[in-house]
Amino acid sequence: MNVLVTYPERCVGCRICEQWCSWKHEGQVNPTKSRIRVHRVHSKYLNIPVTCMQCAKSPCIAACREGALRKDSATGAVIVDEEKCIGCRRCVRACPYGAVAIDKDKRIVLICDLCGGEPQCVAHCREGAIEYVSLALADRGHRAAYVETVVATMAAETKDGIKATGEGGCQ
Amino acid sequence: MALKGLAGKILRVNLTSGSITKEPTPDDVFAGYIGARGVGAYLLLKELKAHTDPLGPDNKLIFLTGPVEGTLAPGANKITVTFRSPLTGTYSFSLCGGHLAPEVKFAGYDGIIIEGRADRPVYLWIDDDRVSLKDASHLWGKLTHATEDAIRAELKDDAIRVACIGPAGEKLSRFACIQSDYHREFGRGGAGAVMGAKNLKAIAVRGTGSVEVADPEALEALTEKVYGILAANLKARARRYYGTPEMVDGTNGLGYWGTRNFSTGYFEEGHNINAANMKEKIFVGSMSCYACPIACGKVSLIRSGPYAGTMIEGPEFESTGLLGANCGVSDLEALVKAVEICDIYGLDTMSAGAVASLAMECYEKGIITKEDTDGLELNFGNGEALVALMEKIARREGIGDLFAEGAKRAAEKLGVPELAMQVKGQEFATYEPRGCKGMGLGYAISPKGAHHMIAPTMGPETAGDGSKRFEYKGKAALVRETQFLMAVVDSLSLCSSMRFALGLKEQIDLYCAVTGLALDEAGAMLIGEKITNLERLFNLREGFDRKDDYLPSRMLKEKMPTGPSQGHLVELDPMLDEYYDLMGWDHEGRPTENRLAELGLAELWREVR
Ligand code: SF4
Repeated sequence: MNVLVTYPERCVGCRICEQWCSWKHEGQVNPTKSRIRVHRVHSKYLNIPVTCMQCAKSPCIAACREGALRKDSATGAVIVDEEKCIGCRRCVRACPYGAVAIDKDKRIVLICDLCGGEPQCVAHCREGAIEYVSLALADRGHRAAYVETVVATMAAETKDGIKATGEGGCQ
Repeated sequence: MALKGLAGKILRVNLTSGSITKEPTPDDVFAGYIGARGVGAYLLLKELKAHTDPLGPDNKLIFLTGPVEGTLAPGANKITVTFRSPLTGTYSFSLCGGHLAPEVKFAGYDGIIIEGRADRPVYLWIDDDRVSLKDASHLWGKLTHATEDAIRAELKDDAIRVACIGPAGEKLSRFACIQSDYHREFGRGGAGAVMGAKNLKAIAVRGTGSVEVADPEALEALTEKVYGILAANLKARARRYYGTPEMVDGTNGLGYWGTRNFSTGYFEEGHNINAANMKEKIFVGSMSCYACPIACGKVSLIRSGPYAGTMIEGPEFESTGLLGANCGVSDLEALVKAVEICDIYGLDTMSAGAVASLAMECYEKGIITKEDTDGLELNFGNGEALVALMEKIARREGIGDLFAEGAKRAAEKLGVPELAMQVKGQEFATYEPRGCKGMGLGYAISPKGAHHMIAPTMGPETAGDGSKRFEYKGKAALVRETQFLMAVVDSLSLCSSMRFALGLKEQIDLYCAVTGLALDEAGAMLIGEKITNLERLFNLREGFDRKDDYLPSRMLKEKMPTGPSQGHLVELDPMLDEYYDLMGWDHEGRPTENRLAELGLAELWREVR
């Protein structure tokens, strides 16, 4: 099973993911009908893509009193039963990532459905800011990024002469 | 006829009376002039009386989007403001990227027309169909970033888009810009001063709707195609990697990069402020406008030194040229700081750089002295002094007050009008006309003064071994064609960065898929010609003609002293004659009755002249 992984540090805030999400689901480009939203933190020059993370213990499902949410067994996506959803927005508040939105016309909630296993946001993001990878491997990219920081820090420390170990350290 | 792609309404706000009305979008005008720049030229000519005071209540700010904004179309993110410029007195428009344009469409409007003058500071709050004027007394005097932040906090929504002016606009600096999304602006021509004169501090927008497109399938296929073209195109890739400063090396390398107030076209220290150095030293990330797969906005951070902690989006190529090379400044950190001051006070970085370089030349020539500058040593190359001067101009302090009037007025006051590198009062962009003749003609005939995007011919002129840039043959025709093309691109409201990779055909195809209209390239170029003529007519009504289509004498009489374009000057008159001829204009640069009739503009002209 695959999950979405986001890399906010790569996101440039073009909102092409939002465009394609609402386009594929609703046949129109509308930022409030996208299941992924890019939030810009202006003062920090950050863009953060926010979408469903397919949590193992879905707080949204637990919060729903109408039984309108369930997990798709094939994709692991949270599926909204449009008949059952009454638009009470309990799941909106339950989601720790702010990934649940409300459709103002249908008055029911919008949650990423992984486009049935071919997420369009991933397909169209040129920055690689959203990936769709197997759950078992979802940590790898982040680990690699972390290791890069460690390597950079070590290199800097060596240069500054704070710590000289390894190759140059045994003279 | 209901045109697809349009939101269907135009918002008209009269600040004097406080009335806010919604009018149906004039579909026929949009069909005839595409959108944004084209429609703006038409509306300004029709709605503005001749000789309207640019800083009086009767001037208008006509904000317009294009039909492709808010759809899937790549690079559809420009919004235009059209107005009579307080800097030049001509028709003027400027384009802003970022996320404002789609937000306006999503809120349900194709444009916003601002008229009159409020009796105290206000801001306009557009919340879908709920529109109101709100008190802005507490925002008056605030810097642009702080204004954006304050408005978002006050309206309790971080995703609201804001366009605002800073203190420079409030104090009516003639080259004040309107700032949006922190670092995107309606830059040239002084729209910020017009907004300041109207007591309008900001426009805040929230839109939650969408626009309908005519042929979704075609649009989707075309969008994918355009992504592919952009991903493969070398120029687009360079821009994606380096931002607009990717042009520094090419422009400087051929010696047509305005340096030290355009005394030459080659900056020996150019490598210090080129893209590679910026990438290595200051770039920390990228920022994109809406729907753009290029993301040319680069975020810069100064890590150490007196300006440590300064963070901006930029510097753009034009700012690098005018605040950098043209001031002889190769100190990257001072350059970033100077850009930041312009952005937060709301000044056009281009005019600001041109004005600073004028000040520096005057200082070196002894026309102004240390006494006038409060002790600033305004020599070319002094980055620290540049930063200090920017602050003075932004606040209209000391000598800054004089230079806030723009290069032409300042130089006239100092008795050295020939030292202002400007056309019609609009300061030069960064390209040196002596090293690139077509750009010279483009500056000269531009309806809004020396602007590089009216006829950006540098691409074809520098192709191959680059020697074509010195030729005169075919330049009038090239300028004319490029001018029409740009009028179309600007009216579509696609970012002009798309133009490097896409042919007119792809851009028009996007337009047709969105609107459902049938338009081919020839038809589009004809619309470009009509727009060009409308703009000319506006200026003609204000008394502009051939006598105003000139370059400063430095370009015409002094041979370029150094660099790869050494020894060159611009022979303008023959190019002008040829250009007027091709346009069907008379020897004075006035569209002939005949030509106007052919273009279907004769009746309009009779009505408004
Ligand atoms: S498409 Fe990618 S880069 Fe663009 S906004 Fe979405 S996540 Fe960010």
